[in-house]
Amino acid sequence: MTDQQSGRQPGRRQVLRGGSALAAAGLGGLGLTGLTTLTGCSGSGDTGAGGSGAAGDPRKGKITVWSWQGPAEQLKALIPEFNKTYPDIQVTVEDIGNPAIWDKITAGLAAGGQGLADVLHIGVDYLPGYVERFPGGLADLAPLGAPAHKDAFASGLWQTVSPDGKRVNALPWEANSAGFYYRADLFEKAGVDVGALQTWDETIEAGKRLKARTGVHLLGIDKPASQPDAANFFQMLLQLQGAFYFDLEGRITLDSPEAVRAMTLIKTMNDAGLVSNLAGGWNALMSSLKRGTAAVLPWPTWFGGIIEEQVPGEAGKWKVRLPPAVRRGGPTAATVNSTHLAIAGSSKQQAAAWSFVEFALTRPASQVRIYRGKGIAPALLKAYDDSVFHEPSAFFSGQRKGEIFLDALKAPGSAVNYTADYARALKLVTDAQSKVLLKGADPAKVLGEAASELARQTGRKNVR
Amino acid sequence: MTPSAPAAAAPRPAARRRGRWGTAAPYLFVLPAVLLFAAFKLYPIGWSFLLSLHRTVGGTETFVGADNYARLADDPLFWTALRNTGVILVVQVPLMLALATGLAVALDSTLLRGRPVFRLGFFLPMVTGLVAYGIVFSVLLNEEYGLVNWLFGLVGIDPVPWLTEGLWARISLGLALTWHYTGYNAVILLARLQTIPAELYDAAAVDGAGALNAFRHVTLPGLRPALLLTTVLSTIGTLQLFDEPYVLTGGGPDNATLTIGVYLYQNAFKYFDFGYASAVAYALTVLVGVLGLIQFRLLGEKS
Repeated sequence: MTDQQSGRQPGRRQVLRGGSALAAAGLGGLGLTGLTTLTGCSGSGDTGAGGSGAAGDPRKGKITVWSWQGPAEQLKALIPEFNKTYPDIQVTVEDIGNPAIWDKITAGLAAGGQGLADVLHIGVDYLPGYVERFPGGLADLAPLGAPAHKDAFASGLWQTVSPDGKRVNALPWEANSAGFYYRADLFEKAGVDVGALQTWDETIEAGKRLKARTGVHLLGIDKPASQPDAANFFQMLLQLQGAFYFDLEGRITLDSPEAVRAMTLIKTMNDAGLVSNLAGGWNALMSSLKRGTAAVLPWPTWFGGIIEEQVPGEAGKWKVRLPPAVRRGGPTAATVNSTHLAIAGSSKQQAAAWSFVEFALTRPASQVRIYRGKGIAPALLKAYDDSVFHEPSAFFSGQRKGEIFLDALKAPGSAVNYTADYARALKLVTDAQSKVLLKGADPAKVLGEAASELARQTGRKNVR
Repeated sequence: MTPSAPAAAAPRPAARRRGRWGTAAPYLFVLPAVLLFAAFKLYPIGWSFLLSLHRTVGGTETFVGADNYARLADDPLFWTALRNTGVILVVQVPLMLALATGLAVALDSTLLRGRPVFRLGFFLPMVTGLVAYGIVFSVLLNEEYGLVNWLFGLVGIDPVPWLTEGLWARISLGLALTWHYTGYNAVILLARLQTIPAELYDAAAVDGAGALNAFRHVTLPGLRPALLLTTVLSTIGTLQLFDEPYVLTGGGPDNATLTIGVYLYQNAFKYFDFGYASAVAYALTVLVGVLGLIQFRLLGEKS
């Protein structure tokens, strides 16, 4: 009996994403035995070039770049300038979409670099996993000259791309600080001075007044966790306390007092009816933004550009500040994520790819252009000398938005260890959060269970 | 006088027709298929079993014996996935097959005009791409912008959280599956239905059986082999269910639609835990085998 005969054909499919093609193929049953196989994904790290030494000519070649939506558009816009300096390098930027890009990169790395682009745009949440699970899958940028730029980026980011200080897995592009975008007009109506809010506890009280006076929620969370980024807000509260899911040794800190505190704040807000449900992920967030169902968007630097794009008519009603502290007097700055450009270990054009990466990420003019285009905040500190970061923003009520986030970027921050098990940790965290938000579960209990489960699944130790 | 035709052209006796390749010929003919099967099925099957005994630590495969299987036994998410898959199996499959049987009988009825059109119509969903129809359903069922909730709104019904609330997400998944596979199963049943001799119905009518009794004592026993086939196929398909929950809900909300297939995928391609994913695959295989055997026992022909 073949796939094609079975009642639910697991066989031929038009698959949306490259990554799922592999997965789907792995799910092709064997008729009666119903055997599911992983199409020979060894994951053994047999990934071709292994990234030793530069491949190809640094001034000539054809390279492909994978990115998503906004950033892809900005990289495309950079090509004509790049070609003035490098006329013989032909660059194609492909917008793979996010989160589709992760599946596609994973599938490519698992297949030993087959079909991967030369340059890959990778978020901080995926980078350690790719590096650890697919050794040599990403090229070492050190021989290409990356260490020359070691001190050019915001603090802590070099450690992210070069954990051992020798091998360089990628170059930092964006550095996003935790932000607090809010509808100033609504808070004014409620008689709340947002600038004076020092802690999240105070913010919750303000949220109650806001809800009573205007009927608007304080903020929104994707309660059933239809997308992994449902935990963004929780993670921000955690990082404002200098904590994360793992410590620097890679031990699990999922049920630390800081984590319980963060989840308890979320529960308090939710129990008070201040949290709107963004079930459905990104689309729900956008429609909530357009309908004005929440007064605060606790999103990082890059989100400012999204707000301007989605609700241009609300110019002057919006303001931005750094988030309140979790404990009085505690930090209000946290670098909540960064993205990077890496080069595939299997690329035959590593030198030309490096020319493009270097041009895009280490040349201030490139980063300024990208910021003007999409509000993507550079990790490259020199870029901030440009006036664009110091201009008052008409949309944000005349505030100097760039400076607010620059202060956060310069604040001393603690390094964050995502480890290769971040995706698994995130899944457990979003599940725990859903239990708190939808079933009123106890934060300490669900986080404790999540930490134990993570230890069992990964073999990591719990810090308790 | 021309010499007679050479002996070679004369028909030879069968026994002598087997030359050097004679006995090997059948093997040569099946060789391509066997090679392809070995390369694309046997090799991955064997490899994934090996994988299931390993764990990736720091980029290298470490042999861990049955560790991954031990992990399975007390992995709450695996049991959640198993339970979800079981619910679909116990609720959706019987409903769908009952519907398919009714449909087959209706499509076979001489009272129905334009039968080919109806048969085609009910079979068509089966040929739509899985992902394509998954996306169409997710658009239709979108809580805020979906056509279904819009129509509900017109008649004053509150919007239904089709994909964002556990129970409704399961119902949506069941609806999508039913839409996609009912016609396919009905066509299999219909083919069998048409082999039941008309004499049996005539005899039943002579014995005074009404339509219902004829269905019970003639149609259903006649359909038995086809019912067994569709049950077994649907069971296997359900246990391997991946595309629909992946596209519609991603296994959410709160793991309400997490199937074994989706869980396997997450472990392999989200957590890069290929060893564990392979163990999930083998657990699934055993399950399918056992359930298949049980169904053959229960529904099979009594020898």
